[in-house]
Amino acid sequence: MDKFSVLLFSGLTNGSVYGLVGLSLSLIYGANRVINFAQGEFVMIGTMSAILFMATYNLSLPVALVLTLGVVLAMALALEFAVYLPLRRRGAPPLTIMIGTMAFAITTMGLALLVWGPNQLSVPNILPMEPMTVGPLITNWQQLAIIGAFVAFLGLTWFILYRTSFGLAIRATGVDPKVALLMGIRSDRIVRFAFLFSATVSGLAGVLIGPLLGGQISIGVALTVKGFMAAILGGLGSPFAAAAGGLAIGVAEAMIAGYGNSLYAEPIIFLIILMILFVRPYGLLGDFEAARR
Amino acid sequence: MRSMFRNGNLAIVLIVVAALILPALLSSGYQLRMVSIIWVFALLAMGFNLLYGITGQISMAQQAFFAIGAYGFAMLQARLGWSPFAALPAAVLIVAGVAAVIGLPLLRLRTHYLAMATLAFSLMMVGLTNRWVEFTGGSAGIQIPTITMGDWSMSRAGLYYTLVIVAAIGLVIHNFIISGHLGRAMQAVRDDETGAESLGVNVTAVKLRVFVLAAVYAAVGGIGFGLVSRQVNPSFGEFPVIVSLLTIAVVGGLGTRFGPVIGAIVVVLAPQALARFGELETLIYGLCLGVFLIFLPNGLSGVMERWGTRLFRSRPPARQPVAKNVVEGGAR
Repeated sequence: MDKFSVLLFSGLTNGSVYGLVGLSLSLIYGANRVINFAQGEFVMIGTMSAILFMATYNLSLPVALVLTLGVVLAMALALEFAVYLPLRRRGAPPLTIMIGTMAFAITTMGLALLVWGPNQLSVPNILPMEPMTVGPLITNWQQLAIIGAFVAFLGLTWFILYRTSFGLAIRATGVDPKVALLMGIRSDRIVRFAFLFSATVSGLAGVLIGPLLGGQISIGVALTVKGFMAAILGGLGSPFAAAAGGLAIGVAEAMIAGYGNSLYAEPIIFLIILMILFVRPYGLLGDFEAARR
Repeated sequence: MRSMFRNGNLAIVLIVVAALILPALLSSGYQLRMVSIIWVFALLAMGFNLLYGITGQISMAQQAFFAIGAYGFAMLQARLGWSPFAALPAAVLIVAGVAAVIGLPLLRLRTHYLAMATLAFSLMMVGLTNRWVEFTGGSAGIQIPTITMGDWSMSRAGLYYTLVIVAAIGLVIHNFIISGHLGRAMQAVRDDETGAESLGVNVTAVKLRVFVLAAVYAAVGGIGFGLVSRQVNPSFGEFPVIVSLLTIAVVGGLGTRFGPVIGAIVVVLAPQALARFGELETLIYGLCLGVFLIFLPNGLSGVMERWGTRLFRSRPPARQPVAKNVVEGGAR
């Protein structure tokens, strides 16, 4: 039972981060049909900024959080104005824009290398990391905070999408951008919101996961790939399906590593995802998108 | 059409002549190694160009086929004691077989789903090569001996000339396919699958053929890279290779005839100049990729074609070859 709960919580923690990246990817995809290959870099910048502001400059937690948010939001605007808008204006297809976001990711890593260097830095943890027991389960505050943030962001996304008129506009753009434009929805703003909201989600995920992953500028790529997988596994069309996909990947990864073969856990996960895509080409919960074709 | 064809052939002859003279101008073995790698990456990029630039099917498994080709070549020699002349075609056949087997189910997927699935395949392969130490040699990899036959053994320069010839043959086939019947069918598949199908194009067959062909190009490139590096290790299949490949495709020009070669020349040689910038290298790499994507969407090849059009007025204006309408129903 102890082993199970430790595995479950570490799986849920990693899965929450994959899910949050997947949710971010899916929100942007819904607004403009582009996969943002730099999404993991937002997590990385969140982690590294937390180190910069909390450890290097020794600022208090609220100030550091606000500054970190400022950094990732500025980064989102840079992505939109320097990569997305110029490419869109030139009529580039979505996959070319995806390669553009990859260029942005490489540039971000290059900048981060200049600021933080290639070595792994220790990340200050906001919450205590000592193990504690909740009923029969063993966990710690940092893990609970990440899972809590996952649930909170999921709720917030649901609220925005289904309980506000702005959310209605986002969903309309997702269904058909042209018709949405004809109805007076400014799709540029929807896209900007998607970029900014996703950056916030991923940046905060970065602040929280930092102490568990370790602060290194190369963590972004792996997170982008896992988040991408989460989104594809669930189905790109819905942010909630993407989040569920992330949880599934995280828990499966932890369970295979714990009870099966820890060495081959990662290849096995990729194999399972490949098999699922053979059987369900639009992801496990992706009927929505399949029906639209 | 005929004159364009002849112009294309003239360009290939010029490239080959220049490439064959080049070693006389180089001073060190390191430089020879660098120019050999140009042709390796040109081969890899030709396959990707056929698959993504012309047919519009993205694959993030090219580096996996690159690695499988090199591993097959190395392991058939090291584990089974085959001669390199038997191991080479066998390794290429293995890759073609693997590509056909995974291509058939995967090519039902489109755009981002296809990208993800192929990425999952290649990550799985890299994971295996890293972990299955007793079979693949783990992260240390496997040595690849120099090709020998009797007393004769292939020198670095000999390897370079062989690579130039193989790449030239690859380029001729690449250009022949683009201008031929299959090329038209591929472009039709890229622009509108349903439309292509209604015109009598067997979409599944075209996709699968190009997927296997691109894998074969990658495998030949991988074997070449193994011979140049004298070993194979898991880094052959890792992320930096696909980033280089994408950069070559974008810098050279997607869907153009000479884009892969021009892109490979620039992308292999540019980091040599950038190495002087030390830590700035990654940053400049990313910025260049972005700048090319935005300001020169048809790559250097597109720029050259424009100059060519200006010089020889008789040639038709350059088409817009970048994959369009890959996703239907997208915002446009």
